[in-house]
Amino acid sequence: MVKLFFSGRLNLSLIIKIFYLSFFVIFFSTANSESYVKAGESLIWDSENQSYTANGSVEFKNDKFVAFSDKMIANYIKQNDEEIFTIVELFENVLIEFKDEIFRGNYAIYTRDDNIIKLTGNVSIESPTRLLTGNELIADIDNNKRILNSANKESLVEVLLENNADN
Amino acid sequence: MTNIFNYKIINFLIILILGLQIFIYFYNQNSLTKNFSQKNITVENFSSIVLSKSGITKIGSEKLNKIDDNKIFLEGKSYLENKEYKIYGNNISINLNKEISSSEEPVKVINSMGTLNAKGFKNLDYDGKIIFFGEVEFVTNN
Repeated sequence: MVKLFFSGRLNLSLIIKIFYLSFFVIFFSTANSESYVKAGESLIWDSENQSYTANGSVEFKNDKFVAFSDKMIANYIKQNDEEIFTIVELFENVLIEFKDEIFRGNYAIYTRDDNIIKLTGNVSIESPTRLLTGNELIADIDNNKRILNSANKESLVEVLLENNADN
Repeated sequence: MTNIFNYKIINFLIILILGLQIFIYFYNQNSLTKNFSQKNITVENFSSIVLSKSGITKIGSEKLNKIDDNKIFLEGKSYLENKEYKIYGNNISINLNKEISSSEEPVKVINSMGTLNAKGFKNLDYDGKIIFFGEVEFVTNN
């Protein structure tokens, strides 16, 4: 009888743990997959030109990255009664967080078809171990490639950050 | 002597009363004309449809105030719905002639891309543009 009681309590405790674990997994997976556009000043929906223009402290998030800038223009297409962003342009003070990397620049354009982000104007790419600066950065997300271009050799700078410098 | 004095008082009172009647008559005439020219109409729990460039839009509110032939004011909880969007807000002004609707109060919009919340909006229907003001959050299905 005692054994049954303890085994019953154990099972109940296990069930509660599994329930909470499932709840958190579902909650966080849903929270992380949320896509959004936030704007501090205004957002203009132009249904004729199929675009959204956001102004003032813009934050854009999709399933790939989070981007911040002063202004954003996102073009979309209609597909199966749903609107999907195809091209996203970011203007001024652009910062893009992709996994453990941070891209910076004055202008960025993201194309959904090929999953490529192109940044121009005083660009930099920062990872936990190094910082690279140049004039143009092409980040190929699907193929995990980064191409950093510069106007001349002097403008291409590589900085090893503290973690790697110790090694 | 007393009779003459009484007649004078009575005549004075009659003239005073006639004067008051003339004043009341003109005063009433003016206000009536003004009221008829404004044509204010108020309807509670109102819903209707409006034909505009974006097609048929269903509108509704707790209270409708018709300001003139072209302008209406949707007072209290109000909505605009058509095939492209659903706008839910408060105190929405509509200019039927210019095809513009606007509100300076929080608004929630649902369209085929997602759900948007803003502090106010101006819908330029003739131009196919909606401008959302203040802090805007647009949660998308992408």
